[in-house]
Amino acid sequence: MNRSMKQFSKMFAAQLKMTFREKQTWFWGIFFPVILMVVFMLIFGGSSDNAFEAKVAIVDEAANPASAAILEQLRAVDAFEIESGEPVSREQAEEWLLDGDVAAVIALPAASADSAAGPMRLELIVDKENEQSVTTQAVAGILGQFVTMGNLAAAGAAPVYELSVESVTRGSNELTVKDFILTGLIAMSIAQGGMFGMVDMVEMRRKGLLKRLRMTPAKMGLYGLGDMTVRMLFAVVQIILLSLIGVFAFGASLYIDPLSLFVVFLVGVLSFTAMGYLFSSVCKTMEAYMAVANIASFLMMFLAGIFFPVETMPEWLRPVSHVLPLTYFVDGLRDAMVYASGIVSGTFWLGIGILALWGVVCFGLGSLLYKSKSIAATR
Amino acid sequence: MNVLDVRDLRKSFGDVHAVQGISFSVEAGEVFTIIGPNGAGKTTTLEMIEGLVPPDSGTISFGGLNWRHYADAIKMKIGVQPQSSAMFDLLTPEENLELFASFYPHPRQTEEILQMINLTEHRNKQVKTLSGGQRQRLAIGLAMVSDPEIIFLDEPTTGLDPQARRNIWDIVLKLKELGKTTILTTHYMEEAEKLSDRVCIVDQGKIIALDTPAALIDRLTKEREVRLSFAGVEEAAAEAERYASQEASVVRAVREGAQLKLWSVQPEETLYSLFGFTKEREYRVEQVSIREMSLEDVFIAFTGKEWRD
Repeated sequence: MNRSMKQFSKMFAAQLKMTFREKQTWFWGIFFPVILMVVFMLIFGGSSDNAFEAKVAIVDEAANPASAAILEQLRAVDAFEIESGEPVSREQAEEWLLDGDVAAVIALPAASADSAAGPMRLELIVDKENEQSVTTQAVAGILGQFVTMGNLAAAGAAPVYELSVESVTRGSNELTVKDFILTGLIAMSIAQGGMFGMVDMVEMRRKGLLKRLRMTPAKMGLYGLGDMTVRMLFAVVQIILLSLIGVFAFGASLYIDPLSLFVVFLVGVLSFTAMGYLFSSVCKTMEAYMAVANIASFLMMFLAGIFFPVETMPEWLRPVSHVLPLTYFVDGLRDAMVYASGIVSGTFWLGIGILALWGVVCFGLGSLLYKSKSIAATR
Repeated sequence: MNVLDVRDLRKSFGDVHAVQGISFSVEAGEVFTIIGPNGAGKTTTLEMIEGLVPPDSGTISFGGLNWRHYADAIKMKIGVQPQSSAMFDLLTPEENLELFASFYPHPRQTEEILQMINLTEHRNKQVKTLSGGQRQRLAIGLAMVSDPEIIFLDEPTTGLDPQARRNIWDIVLKLKELGKTTILTTHYMEEAEKLSDRVCIVDQGKIIALDTPAALIDRLTKEREVRLSFAGVEEAAAEAERYASQEASVVRAVREGAQLKLWSVQPEETLYSLFGFTKEREYRVEQVSIREMSLEDVFIAFTGKEWRD
């Protein structure tokens, strides 16, 4: 027993040293996810609140009481930021529009309501290039609503319906884009750590090191345990580092449930390492292993809801993402790190179960392949 | 006392009959060398003995212990340096040795091994930065960690420069001094001749000769090649050739310019008589050499093949 402990501590120390001396580990495990996070945060995490805002220019060519009243009300709309704060000439406004300085130009009516001249005309001018853009649609929507309200008021009717939008989430916190990217990248880094990490096994077999160890009384089970412990440690470093950067540099907010985080972390690391183990059992060279791991990791990166929600993918692709282990890992991680809900929810445990099943199947298959090839592998 | 008995070992891989009935015994304290060309079955034989490959038939016994029932006990008794220098490249020699030491109950001191393999200066360099010879010495050091009774060295000097080879020879001789049994395979005849107590020549999966290096050489014909150089005087060489051809001990004589080659069953006597003749005629002999038979000749004689490295 005592000797096993000593053997384990030596193996653990050796593996720790090797992991931290390997430059690739630093690059793929630390540097790469951090860079990826910074890039994605800068692209998608730009505005901190989700409120819509558009710059518009106002044209009021023939100021009149009605246009003054409308201008007053437009100023009150939070979503519009009026360029230069005052109405400008039509030429000036169109120039801004074409230069892209404003998203739209609103031209106020030239005359008061007069049944003979027809209804007052509120004009919306947009750049042809951006006719279909989200901003144009939104501005048109807001203006449309504005006109409707005006009409109702003019007719002296009170609105019968009122739309109230409220978002609902499963847990105590709303998932913002930043939290989404942060948790997604943590999941991706840990998954990649597992899937790429087993390249050591391929190298050890190629160099005859596995064979060499089999000729000693070394306990290979202890060696595997040491390896897993180092991997867990490295994954903890990844989580802490990415979280710190996400929270302090980009203002992501986390509500962590330690117990469910522990569960999803443990099962995730083990399952993805088992996948790596399976890859290592079928690949004779490092190049082959890297190719397989890259394909698996890239497919999952885009299909498992790491950078954008699964719901935004085309209908026919969604079943694929409902099979991938990374989908369940990232969901579980979000449950544990953002909603702080996990442990009580049935979906959480279902996801953990599917993730664990992946791990068990990969490990079983890998072991079987190793065993069947062990004689051939030694010539 | 025999520390290792191998009886009628056989192994086939599909149609390839790699080992076809190999038997030998190794005594305690001896350096036992297996030589043979590539694909002769050396490595397969060694791997069966080391417990890596199960033989199709035959028995392997380490002083009464077999792999089936006493694998752990055998692993404690043997130390192996495999052909590929298998070690942890990102660790230093010292860390490698200490890691391997943790596998055994009574390991040798790391310090002592570092000195023996002459790597004390490089103890803190990562293995990937070491030279081929240094790596090979470390591989031997790793085989010695458990202070084993039997050490297997599989082509320890292949691909090394002459100085590095000499360093490895020193280690093997030191092991012999310590009373260890060494089982060695090599491509180099010179090495087998220099280090071994007994040599086993393997070809096409069979042992074709097994004896001490000297006895193997003795088994061949006793002719020795004698070379004389007559300082550029062709006439002298021609005269000497005529004289030598009449000697009973000389089997054959060939002259190339001022160079004379003789094959003699009694080279000392041939030379004595020839020198009498040259002194009388006052011919100046510049160079004389007697080429010893080597294991290479033995190998060629036994297998009928050219030796190839």
